[in-house]
Amino acid sequence: MPSSTPTTKGRKTKTREQEKLPVCPLQNAEANNIRQVMDAEGKLTGDLQDPDIPPEKLLHMYETMVMVRAIDDRGWLLQRSGRVEFWIPHCGLEAVHNGATLAYEDPDWIFMGYRHPGVMLMRGVPLVQLFAQFFGRADEPFKGRRLPTLMGDRRYNIVPMTTQVGSYIPHVCGAAMGALIKGHDTKFLAIFGDGSSSRGEFHSGMNFAGVHKPPVVFICENNGWAISTPQSLQTGSATFAEKGDAYGVRNLVVDGNDALAVYAVVKEARDLGPDEGATLIEAMTYRMGYHTSSDNPDLYREQAEVDAWAAWDPLMRLRKYMERKKLWNKKKEDALWARCKEEISAAIKAAEAMDFPHPSTMFDDTFEEMTWMLEEQKAALLADLEDLS
Amino acid sequence: MNIATATADTGTTVLEAIKAGMSDAMDADSDVILMGEDVGLAGGIFRTSTGLHQRFGSKRVIDTPLDEKGIVAHGIGLALYGLKPIVEIQFSGFIHDAFEHIMFCAARYRWASGGQYSCPMVIRAPSFGGIKGGFWHSQSVEAYFVHHGGMKILCPSTPEDAYRMMLAAVQDPDPVLLIEPVPLYRSMSAKFEMDGKAATIGEAKVTRAGSDVTVVTYGPIQYEVEKAADELATTKGYDVEIIDLRTLIPYDMDTILASVKKTGRVITVHEAPLSMGFGAELAAVIQEKAFGYLHTPIQRVAAPDVPYHFSIGDEYYRPNARRIRLAIERTMEFEF
Repeated sequence: MPSSTPTTKGRKTKTREQEKLPVCPLQNAEANNIRQVMDAEGKLTGDLQDPDIPPEKLLHMYETMVMVRAIDDRGWLLQRSGRVEFWIPHCGLEAVHNGATLAYEDPDWIFMGYRHPGVMLMRGVPLVQLFAQFFGRADEPFKGRRLPTLMGDRRYNIVPMTTQVGSYIPHVCGAAMGALIKGHDTKFLAIFGDGSSSRGEFHSGMNFAGVHKPPVVFICENNGWAISTPQSLQTGSATFAEKGDAYGVRNLVVDGNDALAVYAVVKEARDLGPDEGATLIEAMTYRMGYHTSSDNPDLYREQAEVDAWAAWDPLMRLRKYMERKKLWNKKKEDALWARCKEEISAAIKAAEAMDFPHPSTMFDDTFEEMTWMLEEQKAALLADLEDLS
Repeated sequence: MNIATATADTGTTVLEAIKAGMSDAMDADSDVILMGEDVGLAGGIFRTSTGLHQRFGSKRVIDTPLDEKGIVAHGIGLALYGLKPIVEIQFSGFIHDAFEHIMFCAARYRWASGGQYSCPMVIRAPSFGGIKGGFWHSQSVEAYFVHHGGMKILCPSTPEDAYRMMLAAVQDPDPVLLIEPVPLYRSMSAKFEMDGKAATIGEAKVTRAGSDVTVVTYGPIQYEVEKAADELATTKGYDVEIIDLRTLIPYDMDTILASVKKTGRVITVHEAPLSMGFGAELAAVIQEKAFGYLHTPIQRVAAPDVPYHFSIGDEYYRPNARRIRLAIERTMEFEF
């Protein structure tokens, strides 16, 4: 049932060699040392035990994953029809951030990336706030200042990413060091992409984490592609996780399209004792959509690869698992999708009716107290606006 | 407060003042911590933190890996969580690895989060030449950090300012870049009361009152301006007014304008390179706001746009009293 954002059409395969179909690495999880609970059909075949998430929490996660997928569908259409300027798709990545968020408690801090709207929804942020952010309206926490999907909200202990990928890896590590210094038992989660592992900040964060042992779970969401750069051009390491070995940071690879497996390994890492330090988890998943609305994956990847991953769709697998547990059926699935679409339409309507920020608010929050230099520039802008009117 | 004659028994050195400022700030607020390379048992490469590790322990005086980017970036995390980190970069020449985190993270978190988060922290940047340091160890980097708001920039040049500005920087709700005067660390001392009172950010000081020409400057180079002014008072009877800016962001325009309106002649002096330097901004703003008061064009004295030379840089790259004197003479004797 789940529809999906337009994925790449892919380059046409041309030679006999290229006709050899790519295999999704999740299919050989054990051989690839990928921790897993269930197979593509939602059967409990993996090395990890079923975490047996209570039905209420499980349904909350699944419903959020479907909502996240539905948001991506609509976000794409909104961008193509000119109603949002920019879109960063997240189709296919739902299990990683929703499974991880479920493993954390509300007072814990999460540093999210830009493909993780489920972090907000799992913690109860109203849907309309997300769309107000996408539309750059005044009445959202960041006052319309940030690109669509670059979200966060302090009221929910969700720190917004700083826009440049990976830059927040040492920030989360520093914040967790702060909790240790203050003697708090706050736990921390950061989710970043495979490309981020090449930046110096990854090294800084892992290096400090190895020394200071802060309570952080770093999730490297390996979605296969950093824009057009595949893993083979990103690193010479066999996995992103093993980089943790060099820093003395515990690490593992998990099936990132298996929400149960993500939940299980993140929960275990989150709940480690105070002296046990950080964990680096590589979540193997796949970016089904474009990098952003400005990208064209047909230039650099094969449709066959996309198809191989589609057979391991995270929503489908969790749905099948729930159907086996008699927690779910087609009727509920249809009703859920209808409800999500309806709620999204209502949220869009409400958000589009909101005001844009007043131009003079661009000076606010630069400093706690505005400097005379900014006061002068603000006065000049206000005079300009008066002239316009 | 003559640096040439200052000795340890004439008071507190700049270095001791910085240490006292950090120590008093840490006594006053248990959220204040110090972090950097070798700041612990070694006391920092300049010994500005000697004894702090023994006093406050390894949770509050943290030796870090050799990683300027990491030092600032982890400081940001600490600040986000509610601590008040003082992070030390050993020489300001090494600070650029952390530039993204200083300007685009620390200085922007408040704005980019709609005021939800902030990064109150102090970034210590030992700067300036005259110590045979060559490039990297004698750089003046302030111009790279003044281009947009979000970061306050302080530059103490006396022991008392070093002490009070450290306190002010720690207490400020926004991130502060504290540009420390390496050449004055041990060469300058003064007596003042270490009473826990913080400096007011944004106030310049007229360090020498005069009526003929205004020299706007900051950092240790101002003592070369003093020498030039002394000489010209004797040889030519010129009455030079000197303003120590003390704060670069936000700078004290009122004090500058009051002086310019009195003298009608302005020279800016800094030891950072000339082009697009802080003096260029001052010259632009002064002519915008006080064009009618100016008798002569504004002159800038600065280093050339090349790296700091090791063997001859202190004499020929860094501005000195002679070059400053010549600039003042040119201004005073200017003819259209």
